[in-house]
Amino acid sequence: MTRLIVRRCAQSVPLLFVISLLVFALIHAAPGGPLSTYLENPNVRPEDIARLRQAMGLDRSLSAQYVAWMLAFLRGDWGYSFADGRPVLERLTERVPATLELVGAASLIALALALPIGVFAATHRRFDRLTTFLTVAGISLPVFWFGLILQLLFAGWLGWLPSSGRATFDGDGIGDRLAHLVLPATLLAAVFAAAWSRYLRRAMQHIIGRPFIRAARARGVRRTALLLRHSLPNALPSFVTVVLLDASIMASGAVVTESIFSWPGVGSLFAESLVKRDYTVLMAFLMCGSITVMVLNLIADIAVQLIDPRTRDVS
Amino acid sequence: MSATLRHLRLALGVPLLVACTKDASRTRAPNDLLTVGYDREPDTMNRYATHILEDIESCVVEGLVTNDERMRVVPVLASEIPTVSNGGVRLRADGGMDVTWKLRPNVRWHDGVPHTSADVKFTVDAINKGDWKPESVDGFDRISSVDTPDSLTAVVHYREVYAPYQLQFVRGTLPRHVLEGQDIDRASAYNRAPLGTGPYRVAEWKTGEYILLERVPNYWRGAEYPKIKRILFKFLTNTTTRINQLKSGEVQMVALVPWDKVRELRASPAIRLNQVVGNGYEHVSLNEKRFPAFSDLRVRRALAHAIDRETIVRTILDGLVQIVNGPIQPLSPAYEAKVATYPFNPAKARAMLDEAGWTVGADGIRTKAGSALRFELITQSGFAIRENVAQTIQKQFRDVGVDMRVRLVDGTSISGLWFNGDFDAMLHWWQQGADPEITLFFAADRAPPAGRNINYFRDDSLTKLLYASDRTADVDARAVLLRIAQRRVAELVPELPLYNTSKIDAVPVTLQHFTGNPTNAGPFWNVYAWDFAPP
Amino acid sequence: MSDATSLPPIAPPTRRRVTSRAPRTAAVLLIALVVLAAVAPLIAPYAVDAIDLANRRAAPSAEHWFGTDELGRDLLTRILYGAQVSLAIGLVSALLSAAIGAAVGATAGYARGWIDDVLMRLTDAMLAVPRLPLLMIVSAVLQPSVPLLVVFVGAAGWMESARVVRAEIMSLAARDFVSAARAVGATPLRVVVRHLLPGVLSTASVATTLAIGRGILLESALSFFGVGVQPPTASWGNMLYQAQTTMTSEPWLAIFPGAMIFLTVLACNVVGDAIGAGSDGTS
Repeated sequence: MTRLIVRRCAQSVPLLFVISLLVFALIHAAPGGPLSTYLENPNVRPEDIARLRQAMGLDRSLSAQYVAWMLAFLRGDWGYSFADGRPVLERLTERVPATLELVGAASLIALALALPIGVFAATHRRFDRLTTFLTVAGISLPVFWFGLILQLLFAGWLGWLPSSGRATFDGDGIGDRLAHLVLPATLLAAVFAAAWSRYLRRAMQHIIGRPFIRAARARGVRRTALLLRHSLPNALPSFVTVVLLDASIMASGAVVTESIFSWPGVGSLFAESLVKRDYTVLMAFLMCGSITVMVLNLIADIAVQLIDPRTRDVS
Repeated sequence: MSATLRHLRLALGVPLLVACTKDASRTRAPNDLLTVGYDREPDTMNRYATHILEDIESCVVEGLVTNDERMRVVPVLASEIPTVSNGGVRLRADGGMDVTWKLRPNVRWHDGVPHTSADVKFTVDAINKGDWKPESVDGFDRISSVDTPDSLTAVVHYREVYAPYQLQFVRGTLPRHVLEGQDIDRASAYNRAPLGTGPYRVAEWKTGEYILLERVPNYWRGAEYPKIKRILFKFLTNTTTRINQLKSGEVQMVALVPWDKVRELRASPAIRLNQVVGNGYEHVSLNEKRFPAFSDLRVRRALAHAIDRETIVRTILDGLVQIVNGPIQPLSPAYEAKVATYPFNPAKARAMLDEAGWTVGADGIRTKAGSALRFELITQSGFAIRENVAQTIQKQFRDVGVDMRVRLVDGTSISGLWFNGDFDAMLHWWQQGADPEITLFFAADRAPPAGRNINYFRDDSLTKLLYASDRTADVDARAVLLRIAQRRVAELVPELPLYNTSKIDAVPVTLQHFTGNPTNAGPFWNVYAWDFAPP
Repeated sequence: MSDATSLPPIAPPTRRRVTSRAPRTAAVLLIALVVLAAVAPLIAPYAVDAIDLANRRAAPSAEHWFGTDELGRDLLTRILYGAQVSLAIGLVSALLSAAIGAAVGATAGYARGWIDDVLMRLTDAMLAVPRLPLLMIVSAVLQPSVPLLVVFVGAAGWMESARVVRAEIMSLAARDFVSAARAVGATPLRVVVRHLLPGVLSTASVATTLAIGRGILLESALSFFGVGVQPPTASWGNMLYQAQTTMTSEPWLAIFPGAMIFLTVLACNVVGDAIGAGSDGTS
């Protein structure tokens, strides 16, 4: 186990290096750059631009900027946001709780839907027809369109729910928070519930077709027990991998959902920073996103080792 | 089956329960809170460092002057506006000029420290020292020094005559007793919650969500001001979201409603749409350096005649804006209405192009000496109206044999393109200051990077006129020069003016004393007086 | 697309997914769409850029089945022309993903050893970077034309098929007929192309069909942030983007393009599922 962790960590170092180079090169290839917002204002003169450029270190060579950024990054100093001059780390971390709240809620909803659907669809033919249609539809939905329609329907026409934000200012506690959470969490959960239940259903069917399940059935094991005690545990390891990976993608990539619902999380920070070409924030976002995926990948591997009866004894 | 249904019911049941409790906050007293849906989060609350509108900042930090809803300069922290005739402006024999600012007595910073001429001097010194990055040092670099003969008098010495001097301190002053000796770029306590003299202070800034302002006690205009206790600026960057929240009552006010959204709001009984003439104008810049055909006056005039501005304004803009014929806008004291105009007349446009030697080829596109009258218009993406205007012009040009392609470019990249002159034509408007200076846009030597003459247009007599106006401190004398300059610009059409960018704010019908504002001072310039009518 | 999901390869299903009529209907729909898009200039009721300012925002009617937009252009016409762009992005990017994925996966699976290591680490790296944000940055930075956008979307989606192909190749390579081919002196390239790739074709085609839908969704998501296909070129994604501001007053402008995206992606997924199920039955 320890060997696995050490090996994976060691592997991820060059990986992160490659990613960081790629991302840095890309962001700096941008026309415009972080000073372009100043250009729009006719009161800002070329001397001002040159002065700002120097003050921000943008006049140094690209390689020098990269090295400076990398060294600082390793020290935990992620620089200052071009947009508002505050530390990047602070800007990111203050957005994390909102994203965790949204992703956590969405994951729970998605799991609550995907587990029963996946398991029962694998064995109940008529139920399967219905859910197959629903889940294929789910993964085919253009998320931002669906989000706008949810917003229009529940906040606009019906007026049941707030259309956006995380809480009403001066709102009354938990009920208000939940009301704000419902639409974005549902939107995010919809796609993942569909994908996960499809995945679980296939995994379950695969297991059920195996000889040992057929044997158990022949022994007269009850259907429910067959599903929940014999099949599900075997389907679970790969399912956990999928869920954890997707959760990490959600965490960094809830960009669409957070933008539609003005959810003050990491994803909407990314969208705002993209508009402002806030290089330091964009770099940190992509690096953190990549690291999150890798860490969750590792956790998934470990989890699989722990719960999968077949791999437990191998390493 | 049943399991799924139960989950569905659970998922749907929660909102029903919560929805009932949602609107408890609506019952508060009218002047307790004003909720504003705001299109972006400020980068900083420091008025000198921000590069976007200063709406929120202006509630906290006051200028020595501000612009009112008619764009007149009115004193705030100054007791009067210095002019040549009242002796506040003195021209020196060496070509420089001295401006004497008299400050309003008994104004205190929010921490109780008096606001004095030392703060004015500190502001100039901090900006001119050059170790922090305010957005603009415009005009400050022409100041050699500031004298403070007494605590309420600041004499600003300019090296040369600087006509826009009245607006020098429109962004206010920096509190010396707080910022002295600090690195202002990193003074995040000030930059996040600046110390001001205004009616409000920052109570809370929740990043990504809102800024809450609360009234200060003992505001210098008197204990009855400001009327509204708290103002909440909710950041809603998505236009659709912002308008939806306005309609649903989640926010009460939206500053700068996009023109294509006005239609939707007309039906809302709780909302009043307040419109003021704007300080900018949408126009098509013609880059003569990149596309030499534009340097032929006949071609420029033909293009002007080819655009049907009446129809564009009546349809795409729902009649919300007015057609203008030049760079200085109607509210400015220097505005000249009687200039050459180019009414829609495709026949005349065709004739002028023929005369200029551009003849129609087989494909309907005009050519001259083997090259086609074909160019690309860039405009910023993300603005439906602008995209539609661009495509309409494209069609109208096509009708006279001019082939214009449209390319949409995002906001940040487009700045780089025009700054480097990498475009043929551009549909856009400038964020203009309240001062009528246009030298920056039309003087021959002010092409980027030295200015904003992105038409790369050269006319010596115009250039001379413009520089002369810049060196004229007397407001009226300067306006005379600028009027001549406007007539010259209209005659030579270096760019194609379309319409004034009028500003429309959506406010609650019960809000009184709201006037709007055409300048960067923004609609909050008189926020101290706003008052909700009792129900 | 979405805050999107990426499924690692999994054992193929053991039973047909959908009733047999659904995939056939979906396939017919897809083919019909492609044909309609191809002949759009012939069948479209109006010219694609026919602006009619006197007839703006008209609701669906006999003259304009899908209504008109902000400039009075016929929405049905724009959807037909938009189909050219959206379908092209979906189809070509999916083929590109499949080609890159097959090349990488086959090389890794056949060569094994350090080549496999390097290629799979690269795949991991690409999978680790959040896809939609990465594509958003690339599109924002480089402001691609439509062909370039296709390349980007394709290049962002090859990792899944690389993994699938690699796994298939590895299991096939252990079979007798491959050892036989090797024994008679076939070159590695020949072994891969002649003997191994045909074996993975069905798996790869499932991945490709699904990738068409994903490509269309990605295009629409990029357009949502204004970095996708730029007007005046019409794509379903940017039509939807423009329509979102008038969602309440002229809902048809949003409903039709959104429905087209949804239907097309749905059809791709249904067909992909069916191919997956069918191929499993024969092998």
